[in-house]
Amino acid sequence: MNDDKLILYYYDDLAGAERREVERALAGDPAVAARFRALKGDLDDFSDPRVTPPPPDMVQRWHDTIDRAAGIASPAARRPGFHSWSFLLGAAVTAALAAGIGLGILISGDEPAATRIEIPVAGLGTATPGAQPAFIRGLRLHLKESERSLASLPAETNGDRAVLIMDIIEQNRLFARAARRNDADDLARVLRAFELVLVELAAEDIAPEDAAALRAKLKFELNVMLTKLSRSSSDEPHSI
Amino acid sequence: MKSQAPPTRAEFHEAIAHRSDRWFAACLKITRDRDLAQDAVQEALISAWEKRHQFRETARLDTWIHRIAINAALQLLRRNRPGLFESLAGDIAGGDEGPEAAQQARELDDELRAAFGGLTEIERVCFVLKHLEQWRLKEIAGELGIRTDAVKQAVFRAVKKLRASMHHLKEGAS
Repeated sequence: MNDDKLILYYYDDLAGAERREVERALAGDPAVAARFRALKGDLDDFSDPRVTPPPPDMVQRWHDTIDRAAGIASPAARRPGFHSWSFLLGAAVTAALAAGIGLGILISGDEPAATRIEIPVAGLGTATPGAQPAFIRGLRLHLKESERSLASLPAETNGDRAVLIMDIIEQNRLFARAARRNDADDLARVLRAFELVLVELAAEDIAPEDAAALRAKLKFELNVMLTKLSRSSSDEPHSI
Repeated sequence: MKSQAPPTRAEFHEAIAHRSDRWFAACLKITRDRDLAQDAVQEALISAWEKRHQFRETARLDTWIHRIAINAALQLLRRNRPGLFESLAGDIAGGDEGPEAAQQARELDDELRAAFGGLTEIERVCFVLKHLEQWRLKEIAGELGIRTDAVKQAVFRAVKKLRASMHHLKEGAS
């Protein structure tokens, strides 16, 4: 009786004859029974590990996600022709977004959409102590390119437009992750807040005035962020 | 037949308040990446909300979301590392994970963290799904797109490595 079979028995993954074979061995062979007890003890030790609680701001973000997702449903019912999912025309975009990249945070309602989401750029310090200069340079480039992409975004709400916004979101996520790895958590939070606005901007049925307001908001916040990052990098000691 | 009302927004909030730490922990064990785990939970919530009409009262809402979160974590892991589960050829060595992975691993339970460090990606994912999430071998194989035998072998190797690590740790402590 090898350990592999005992492992499968422990996990209740044996059936029929194999299961009975193990049961007979356990009942009739003290050495096998001892080996199984040792295995069970070890595996039980791996059960019920301690859980590291997620930070409160992360949990709050999940609560907000549900509120925003729920926010879609009720105004939609009042507003004929609203299709929160229908801005996804391309199959690739559909697949990516169906995986959940922010679909639930599309917002519609009476209040101009651009006023609903706060991007905490103002609270961002100019210093990013943990961040590598190369990361900051890459981030500045990403923000500038995002600015350019947003400026040249087609006015028409079609699949191409959604794909362009999706590209920015994907890049943005990469930089948010990199920011966290660089111990720049505030920066990561700001970048994630951008995502909410970008997803909202991707909505097919967004009103032109809302889209304009969102683009203006993004442009402004991107500029503020770029300025802060410029200050941050100019504070760095220069090396030759 | 009486139609069943979908879970309400309040019920979702309650599930988040009481169980999101479990969802996050499970996703973190699969991805070993805090941001990916966060995204997985986020995507699971969005997906669960959109599909709430499919939820059946025979299940628990938090368990249902948990399962969706695991699937989202696996999808994100696959998206970030294409081909991860398709080939098992390169997964024997393992262990050399670099400073970033080591940093993220600090979030894991201390003992598990130390022991998990010696597992390859496929071993870790299979072990987490089998041992901690209690999936059937066939389910794991189906989700990862690999043969059931490959899942078995990955679980066997994981268990052996983990036991060896734990014994080593216990010996060191005594």
